[in-house]
Amino acid sequence: MKRAGALALIALALAALAIYPAFATGYGVRAVLQIFMWIALAGSWNVISGLTGYVSFGHVAFFGMGAYTGGLLIAKTGWPWPLAALGGAAAAGLLALAIGGPCLRLRGPYFAIAMLGLNEVLRALVSYFEGLTGGGNGLSLPTLDATVPIYYAMGLTAAAVTAGTYLILSSRFGLRLMTIREDEVAAEAMGIDTFSHKLVAFLLSALGPGLAGALTARDQGYIEPLSVFPLATTITMIVMALFGGKGTVWGPVLGAAVLFIAQEMVWARYPYVHPLLFGAIIVAVVLAMPRGVLGLLQLKFRLPRTI
Amino acid sequence: MNVVITPTMVGQVIISGLLSGALYSMVALGLALIFGVMRIINVAHGPLLMLGAYTTYFLYSGLGLNPYLTVPVSMLVLFGVGLLLERTLIFRVVDAPELSSLLLTFGISIALVNATQLAFTSDLRAVEYLTGSWLVGPFAVSKPRVIAFAFAVGLTGLAFVFLKYTRTGKAIRATSQSREVAMVCGIDVGRIHLLTFGLASALAAAGGALIAVIVAIQPEMGQVWTFKSFLVIVLGGAGNYPGALVGGMLLGLVEQLASLFLTTQLSEVVAYVLLVLVLLVRPTGLLGGRQT
Amino acid sequence: MAGAALEIVDLRKSFGGVTAVNGVSLALEPGRIYGLIGPNGSGKTTLFNCITGVERRDSGRILLDGARIDGLKPYQIAQRGVGRTFQVIRVFPELTALENLLVVTRGDHRAAQARALELLRFVKLEGLRDEYAGNLSYGQQKLVEFVRMLMREPSLVLLDEPAAGVNRTLLNDLLDAVRQLRDTGKTVLLVEHDMKVVMGLCETVFVLDHGEKIAEGPPGVIQADERVIEAYFGR
Repeated sequence: MKRAGALALIALALAALAIYPAFATGYGVRAVLQIFMWIALAGSWNVISGLTGYVSFGHVAFFGMGAYTGGLLIAKTGWPWPLAALGGAAAAGLLALAIGGPCLRLRGPYFAIAMLGLNEVLRALVSYFEGLTGGGNGLSLPTLDATVPIYYAMGLTAAAVTAGTYLILSSRFGLRLMTIREDEVAAEAMGIDTFSHKLVAFLLSALGPGLAGALTARDQGYIEPLSVFPLATTITMIVMALFGGKGTVWGPVLGAAVLFIAQEMVWARYPYVHPLLFGAIIVAVVLAMPRGVLGLLQLKFRLPRTI
Repeated sequence: MNVVITPTMVGQVIISGLLSGALYSMVALGLALIFGVMRIINVAHGPLLMLGAYTTYFLYSGLGLNPYLTVPVSMLVLFGVGLLLERTLIFRVVDAPELSSLLLTFGISIALVNATQLAFTSDLRAVEYLTGSWLVGPFAVSKPRVIAFAFAVGLTGLAFVFLKYTRTGKAIRATSQSREVAMVCGIDVGRIHLLTFGLASALAAAGGALIAVIVAIQPEMGQVWTFKSFLVIVLGGAGNYPGALVGGMLLGLVEQLASLFLTTQLSEVVAYVLLVLVLLVRPTGLLGGRQT
Repeated sequence: MAGAALEIVDLRKSFGGVTAVNGVSLALEPGRIYGLIGPNGSGKTTLFNCITGVERRDSGRILLDGARIDGLKPYQIAQRGVGRTFQVIRVFPELTALENLLVVTRGDHRAAQARALELLRFVKLEGLRDEYAGNLSYGQQKLVEFVRMLMREPSLVLLDEPAAGVNRTLLNDLLDAVRQLRDTGKTVLLVEHDMKVVMGLCETVFVLDHGEKIAEGPPGVIQADERVIEAYFGR
């Protein structure tokens, strides 16, 4: 009974979001588009960091990778943007395998350190390969007003990430990922190949940001290293996932929606305050509410794991 | 890119590497202490260094003090900041899963950087006290870097003397080896954690104060130091304090040598690749240390 | 599933300057319960860790049914039928008791679920199947850890201080369970400090001191062995 109710609610929300562009302003469509993007980012971060406990501080690298790959495919080889977006996701996935291969063999803290440096390295590489990427001058895409189709594409991405998280959390694969977070040594002693599991989770967590990056590149029409590899993006997606509830399905959705709206309505007026606030929120959540809003509710009301 | 590389150039680069290496060692020692004693990854280490640099800047530009005289002041100020952070926030995650301490110090680092940005804007500041180089034979050695080197060696030496010969220093080392045994021996582990964090912050501050004379001061200047300090620990081995010294020197040398053969843009990539390689081949550090 | 034979040949392991295991050789046959005792620091846990792959041995060979397992990763060794419990309980706290058992198996979900429930029933914890393992009492967690190990039907069972912190009633249940394992042909090796448990349960006992095997034999003989007495109590 509860299940049917929940599904009906979700269907209703999806329907509302689907017809939204028909009567919303340009600003409204862009705002929701951005929320979709943050859901895809925070939700993807959640898959690796929330489930396995391996904190990825450089996750925006996949966003940037997707942006540049998608952008280059559109600008230099003339691919249509939906295809270029998939290319961006694929490139991000390959990057995840390349980085994850060495770095996930390490224990959590060392992995976190390695991810810290990743962002800076990618930014440096983009600048270095100026000829290809336009370096600091950025990359321009042929003009195209595709905001509404991209709205839907981004919405699909967010939905896919959320649905994917649900599928993972309701499977034994998801349980095995969680054992890595709970006690990796015991997991290994029970015959679980933790490295492979971490790698798969990492790969899956890169696809969403890859897609989102490519779509954003198309939407903005112009990308440069600072815009697609900013530390602020990683910070924001982490705060959103933490606040909403890492390790849950809907936590990142809640976090993305709430914090984006708060950001737009309150904090955008004070450009330096809001990163400070985000830092403070992270501190507060880690100390007082480590499981986030949904995680707390889940514990208190014995909600199912797939909430 | 250089076409012909002469021995003089190599020598020059080695000297530069050693000069910067000592600074890396000193700052990384602080991080190594926090990691060794409290098992915490302090992502906020760079920002603490940055605050040390700003302290020196304001004492220099506001009171006209010789920046090198402000080194102990910066250290003292950040020692206090470190104590405050530990007493209010850090102590809560000492026994928590690593995820918590990573995220907490990450949050603190963002808060510190952005609070600084808010208070002082991201305008570049500089302490133009000493510039130029001394000529030693065919080599030119940057004056502020030599003085920074001297301070770093002195302070690191003092730190080691403290660790080896004083009662508190020994208690720190004991706690670092085994918290349980330290407690059984009557060591107040909470107090040790407090002091260690303060001490580490002071070392970071010293780095910041010294580097303030050399590079531009801005709120994000510390970020790269966090990463490099970790790299040093990885090179030297976790919990291996003398290893941090060697690791720092090694990093300095490798960076400078790399900038000789590659462009400076790629020197950060080199550091990164070095990190990943070492982690893969000898995860316990080049000199051997504790596994996490 | 029948037990596996374990053979350890001249195993050595040092940490820095400290030699934890100094040339230890053991041979275990299926269908028997072996004990591993020795004063603190004698190398028992290190030996366990070497067998399960948590530590890499410096030299020597470890053979399971004649095949070398030294050098393999812990999960590979576990997949070859080596099960272990830990000195400090390592259940997965945020998974339920049932999930703790389910997570270690793959394949047919229904069969796994049935087996998991059967094992929980065996230790009388079926009613707590949906409770987070972290919320269970010490004794209950110990039992969950024990049956979790059994989910994979190991042929070699390594128990690290099974009696630690356990009340008498629970202990008797555990010991009965261990005897049942032996009766089905499995090989059991346990590290234990509680001498009554060791003497009452084990058929053969190995004694380690300072990383070396100083005695081996039935409990009665070991108890009277001078070297053993000296190792524990000094001269």
